[in-house]
Amino acid sequence: MTETTSEIISTKMNPNVIPHLHIWEWHIPLYLFLGGLAGGLLVITAAMIVIKRHFGIGPRDEGEGCPCLAVRIGSALAPILLGVGMLFLFLDLAHKLYVWAFYTTVQPTSPMSAGSWILIVFFPMAVLQALLVNKQLVRKLDIGIVNKLIDWTEDHLTLVALLNAHIGIGIGIYTGILLSFFYARPLWSSSILGMLFLVSGISSAAALLLLFAPDKEKPIYSRIDVNALWIEMIVLGLFVLGGITGPANNSAAMMHLIAGDYQMAGISYMWWFWGGFVVLGLLLPMFLEFLEAVGVHIRFPQVAPVLVLMGGLILRFLIVFAGQTYHTFM
Amino acid sequence: MKADKKNYGMVIDTRVCVGCSACVYACKSENSVPEGYCRDWVVQETNGTFPRLSMENRSERCQHCSKAPCVTYCPTGASHYSKDGTVQINRSRCTGCKACLAACPYDARYVHPEGYVDKCSLCEHRLEQGLETACVSVCPTTSLNLVDFNNPEEYAVTMMNGKEVYRQKEHAGTNPSLYWISARNKPGV
Repeated sequence: MTETTSEIISTKMNPNVIPHLHIWEWHIPLYLFLGGLAGGLLVITAAMIVIKRHFGIGPRDEGEGCPCLAVRIGSALAPILLGVGMLFLFLDLAHKLYVWAFYTTVQPTSPMSAGSWILIVFFPMAVLQALLVNKQLVRKLDIGIVNKLIDWTEDHLTLVALLNAHIGIGIGIYTGILLSFFYARPLWSSSILGMLFLVSGISSAAALLLLFAPDKEKPIYSRIDVNALWIEMIVLGLFVLGGITGPANNSAAMMHLIAGDYQMAGISYMWWFWGGFVVLGLLLPMFLEFLEAVGVHIRFPQVAPVLVLMGGLILRFLIVFAGQTYHTFM
Repeated sequence: MKADKKNYGMVIDTRVCVGCSACVYACKSENSVPEGYCRDWVVQETNGTFPRLSMENRSERCQHCSKAPCVTYCPTGASHYSKDGTVQINRSRCTGCKACLAACPYDARYVHPEGYVDKCSLCEHRLEQGLETACVSVCPTTSLNLVDFNNPEEYAVTMMNGKEVYRQKEHAGTNPSLYWISARNKPGV
């Protein structure tokens, strides 16, 4: 039997959807990366605070009850990185003067509405934690209202951290759920994307802390990182398998990502995915940190964390771009 | 029994569509659609094995779904269901976040150069005055038919009777309000 042909000619010309969806460029993947990183930082630093305060495990506190250096830096970075990410989010809005419309309503079925409210809760809580863990430094600035705020809340750092651990997880999951509710875009239409972005955010945050932490604190973050990477591998495997074994829409969209010859910055998705993300962003840093853990010291210890961070960034760009270049649900 | 509540949609007879694009230009002029964009468009689909080919022309636009993913996803309520059964956009609540573009399985929307998201409104402003949409009023072969599905006129019902009628991506669960009389109903196909 000869092949049946099918040819479709359309006069539709809207640049946002022709030849494929083209709505989000670099702003959104960068925001998803920074949001995941900020969420991950909040989860790790908050957990470190709670575990130290509650179980006495972790690096020694410094000064008047301030946590160790890496926790202090991480707590301060979380709201800063999220702030930068939110700036990109704002820059991506096409109708910027109407940004207030997010905050005059709650749309229960819209993850973006939920996300915009989570961000509002995240910010003051993350800033409060950053102030509390750096109180020695902040008190030196001697700002009346900030001093009062620290006086009121410094006895409740554990509670603040406990809340922040949850908010951090919320932010991390939200960055994936933002995409996964679009069932019209088959690649994104996977609930495990929320977990993937959460774990990737945590591994990236551990990598960032690994860069900043003083030598004696490094082993902790290396261990967190290698475990997060391991979990990330499993979640990524489930994401890929879930796509391949899914219905035609999802399996073809997944193949578009993992075996696609569509190009991003001159390199095909397939190479970005396997070479850039899986090998350079997951396997190689896992191996390097494993070597470090068994006592083989590498000359450039920064290599592994930098690779993890780049892997996190590549993952966000790949998912956002490949989700758009594949056609809609058929 | 006459229902007071309207539920507008369309019945599109692809058997008589010649693909002239009059609907597209009528819409552009009625709704001041900016250059390089369109709210409706014409599709020509050819299927089969040469020389036995069949062709369908059809005028496409927003499907005014009653379970519209764009409304579900809109974070500000800018995309909403209107009381006449159509899906509308409130420009003064639209942030231009573009979530609705990603949510629409029909790719029916675009970002207007002024920043808000735009699409077919089923000429809401004309319906309010008891007029038909611009595309329906200009269609030279009566391929396009405006129908209130809560109170359909007799001809709209008989037109579909016994024919192969479909809705696009019905399995997406969107419950679209556009019905298409397939070109396969033509003799000799």
